[in-house]
Amino acid sequence: MTFQALYTLTDLRVILRETAPQHQLDETRRAQAQRLLDNLERQVASLKQEMLK
Amino acid sequence: MRCGIGIEARQVNELYINIDPIQAGGRLTADAMKAVIAYGDGYSVCDNCRKPNRLDYISKPPIAGFHRDVAAWLNMDAVRTVPGARRGFQAVTNTYVSKGDPVLLTSLSHYTEFLAVEETGGIVREIPHDSAHKITADATATKIEEVMREFGRVPVLAFIDHVDYQYGNMHDVKAIAKVAHHYDIPILYNGAYTVGILPVDGGDFGVDFIVGSGHKSMAAPAPSGVLAATKERAGEVFRTTTIKGDVTNRTFGIKEPEMMGCTLMGATLVGMMASFPQVKERVKHFDRELENNRRVLEALLSVTGTKILSEYPRNHTLTRVDTLASFDTIAESHKKRGFYLSAALEEKGIVGIIPGATKVWKFNTYGTTPQQAAFLADAFVAVAMDNGLPHNA
Repeated sequence: MTFQALYTLTDLRVILRETAPQHQLDETRRAQAQRLLDNLERQVASLKQEMLK
Repeated sequence: MRCGIGIEARQVNELYINIDPIQAGGRLTADAMKAVIAYGDGYSVCDNCRKPNRLDYISKPPIAGFHRDVAAWLNMDAVRTVPGARRGFQAVTNTYVSKGDPVLLTSLSHYTEFLAVEETGGIVREIPHDSAHKITADATATKIEEVMREFGRVPVLAFIDHVDYQYGNMHDVKAIAKVAHHYDIPILYNGAYTVGILPVDGGDFGVDFIVGSGHKSMAAPAPSGVLAATKERAGEVFRTTTIKGDVTNRTFGIKEPEMMGCTLMGATLVGMMASFPQVKERVKHFDRELENNRRVLEALLSVTGTKILSEYPRNHTLTRVDTLASFDTIAESHKKRGFYLSAALEEKGIVGIIPGATKVWKFNTYGTTPQQAAFLADAFVAVAMDNGLPHNA
């Protein structure tokens, strides 16, 4: 789960690179970012559950 | 944000469009970044190293397969990974050049080629470029004849940079290799700006060696690169050790002296491997990169007085421009002097031009999206307009 979250952040990082310097996301990228951020929230929640149980 | 004491997290490529001429092709893919996270530990690729205990035999992660794939991709017979193109040059010069031997470079050769020759005691002779800053087959033949008159023998090795670092010009490697081989001179193709950027076919070029740079053009961490050889030359440059300890009688299996045994043993190699599928794909679409470059160059040329010093139209995205009669005319009176240009661009979100440069400078648009290329084009014109430079944009 640690790697999954790191890799999701990496995918978000790539969006930042591809849209620099203005970071204005078109519809496709916005949807992609939304999906990645949703995944990240789930991955962090799972991490919390596993590490703090 | 810091990633260690005194080490700021680097966010250049997240915050800016980076047109640094040497950095454009080495930006990591997402997969390479992920590989670096997982394989950052020292000898991380060695978990499953088994006899015969050599890097290019490891199958998990699939390093052996990567070596085979890169060789096939370059249409060469054997490949080794090296810590940067310069170490590839060094392996070849160490194999073929002895003290006093003449070696053919060009007037546009990278300095590391000179150093690789220097280390062996060889003597460089440069093929001069023509008025268009191109190295030609005719000039190669003339220089070889000169060397023969001077040394009484042909050069023991020739280097040719397919795309040179100074102008980003593309040179006729195939014709030059044909001339070199006519004189039985092995030829090393320096693909630091091409391998991983555009299609490279060693068999078609007829070269003996191909050197590529992972961190310059294959979306890999530094230092990384590849050295490829034909079957005939592989046995020479990738010869195996024969040394034996006099006390211990130790020998060292199939380790290769020119590679110093194993080469890239962690994140550098796995980063290069992780990017490879995308790198193989991106070379097929170099026309898109040239289109982005054209867009930016047209904007620059719309600023009165700007000249393109590289061949034009362009065959590569690394480009040298002369702005003595345009942007440099502002530098003299501007309170930031020559730094005004890079400062104005940075304010707009663009970095990579040498701070202070307003006369002759280089940039590389490789890897920009069409939107970023358009932004770049507009930014150059905007800086010109802000400073009252005449333009026809």
